[in-house]
Amino acid sequence: MAAHELIVGPNFSGRSALLMRRLRERTPGASFYIGPYAEAALSGLSSTVADEIEIYGTNTAQDRSGFQLLDRIARDRPTFDVLDLKSFADRKPPTLSGGEQVLLALHCFSISTFRAIGIDTALEQLDPDNRALALLYLTFCEDQDALLIDNRLDHLDDWSRIDASEVDHRFACDLAAAVAPIAPRAAPAIAIEGLSFHYPGGWDVFADTSFMLAPGKAHRLTGANGTGKTTLMKLLAGVLRPSAGAITLDGAPYEPWTSGNRLFALATQNPDHQWCGATLAEDLTRRCAALAHHKELQAPTSEQLSTLATLFGIASRDQHLYELPLAARKRLSWLWPLTGTMPWIMLDEPTVGQDRATCEALARAIDTMCARGYGVIFITHDDDFADMIAHEQLLIAQGTISS
Amino acid sequence: MTPNGAVIFGLVVVAASVAAASPLGFAVVAALVLAFAIAGGGRKAATALLWSAGIVAPLALFMGLVWVVIVGRAPAEIAAGVEGSRIAAAAYVAVICARLFIIAFVVQAAFQHFAGATPLRFVRGLTVPLTVKKLLVLTLSLIETLLQAVDRARTALIVSGTITRQFSLRNLRHGWILIQTVWLTVITIAIGRTRDKWPTEGTLTLLDNALSAPAGRRFAAADLIWITLAVAALASALGLR
Repeated sequence: MAAHELIVGPNFSGRSALLMRRLRERTPGASFYIGPYAEAALSGLSSTVADEIEIYGTNTAQDRSGFQLLDRIARDRPTFDVLDLKSFADRKPPTLSGGEQVLLALHCFSISTFRAIGIDTALEQLDPDNRALALLYLTFCEDQDALLIDNRLDHLDDWSRIDASEVDHRFACDLAAAVAPIAPRAAPAIAIEGLSFHYPGGWDVFADTSFMLAPGKAHRLTGANGTGKTTLMKLLAGVLRPSAGAITLDGAPYEPWTSGNRLFALATQNPDHQWCGATLAEDLTRRCAALAHHKELQAPTSEQLSTLATLFGIASRDQHLYELPLAARKRLSWLWPLTGTMPWIMLDEPTVGQDRATCEALARAIDTMCARGYGVIFITHDDDFADMIAHEQLLIAQGTISS
Repeated sequence: MTPNGAVIFGLVVVAASVAAASPLGFAVVAALVLAFAIAGGGRKAATALLWSAGIVAPLALFMGLVWVVIVGRAPAEIAAGVEGSRIAAAAYVAVICARLFIIAFVVQAAFQHFAGATPLRFVRGLTVPLTVKKLLVLTLSLIETLLQAVDRARTALIVSGTITRQFSLRNLRHGWILIQTVWLTVITIAIGRTRDKWPTEGTLTLLDNALSAPAGRRFAAADLIWITLAVAALASALGLR
């Protein structure tokens, strides 16, 4: 009978190390691993989704006479088929959304010969329907061991629980103190008219959609995995250029893809997608230097940044970012948005990999920012977290955005 | 066409373009590659043509500026110690660029012949040692990682306001930050994979299995036809020097 184990504990209690240790206690190379982000979900060896599937689905030790992938898989175990693999076949795996990458990884596990899987908080990136399917699949994998870390689960039926309780307090953060000194501000109202966008050679992500973003409020972007939530954030920050449409700030035209971003502070889904330097000091210095182009924005002082770094659990701004644990980097990704430098903040899946206590503190911090006039846009599949924040829900589906 | 045939055809065409020295010689080789491109991609041959011209054009401009405008004579004339002429320098630039254009064009055309195949299947179809196949896949993986790192770094720096999406003086001043960020990103991606994912799964062994799977015929009839034509073009290029 396969072992299904749920590893429970707060951040920095050694859960990830415990999961990895238990996976590697098995025969080396016998366990499938899905880490928190893309680099630890996909093999990194494939240029297309089809190749990624082929790498995991091939086993020449078993069958050299032919290569009937799907037939062989059907005999061994049920496959996890949530993604429309035909339409995704030619896409590069890193271009998939975070949730789609997790779904692809689960599919690859289901067609492989691995006898065990370890998942480190990756299921938190899935929308509710896909998450339920994934948990169901893992629970009913009769011949495969499963180890899971998930901050939204304390227990699972038919799973044993392993408690990780020895907490390293070095990275404790105080979000309430971090936002306490932020002064009230009148963020501009944002109007988006006729927004259209498609990736080169791809489908329409947005098709002539219009909506408003009011300051002093939190706006939650919802929608299934891959519908364009992160893409919208990139459009608003000027990383992508819409094929049609206009953005106005209090009625004045705003084109961040031309003039540069002077409105949004973004905390990306994978925190490593937002660093501008090797150390925290380098990162913050460059962000402050960029403000020189926008006289209306006031950069925080060095003392303010040092204080904030301490409140985020970082002893020195000379800290090399990649030497921090991933959960600490994730929290640190909120530092710049919570300086209050930019009038709007965007948080892309901020709760992934974060324990409940931290999620609650972040929810209160978001409410504080809104109460002081800032605008907030956040993406989360965690309904419990969203329910802690007074917010307006914006649903992205079939190319449109609706309240 | 098979991967083996495409590679051999490409290598012979490259040899023919290097051997060609006269306009007629280049025309013969270029006509062959154009026919190859049309056979593989139909109307998409025009796209391959434009891409190849786009790749070579900046080099042609730069070389023209250096050799024709500034230097004013060809390298052979400099070596011979003669006065030389700008016409000879222009001819030298034209020969170099024509060769590069043909090489770029034949690579683009070969891609079009395998538009329906994945990179993994193409590499698996090659009749080379497993180590070479693995090296090719890892090289492609590194290229993809670099492209991914550039995208990630650009996103980070645009959001922070350090650079803009559109060309700007700011981007020129801060280009070095982009390079540093890309390099850092590549390293961290590679470390993440090699520390966690690959050792746990034995991913490189999976790759061995995937590359060792049956790959179909080594050569097809079309391969022999195109390779023969390429050899004929090489002979023509040599004869027309």
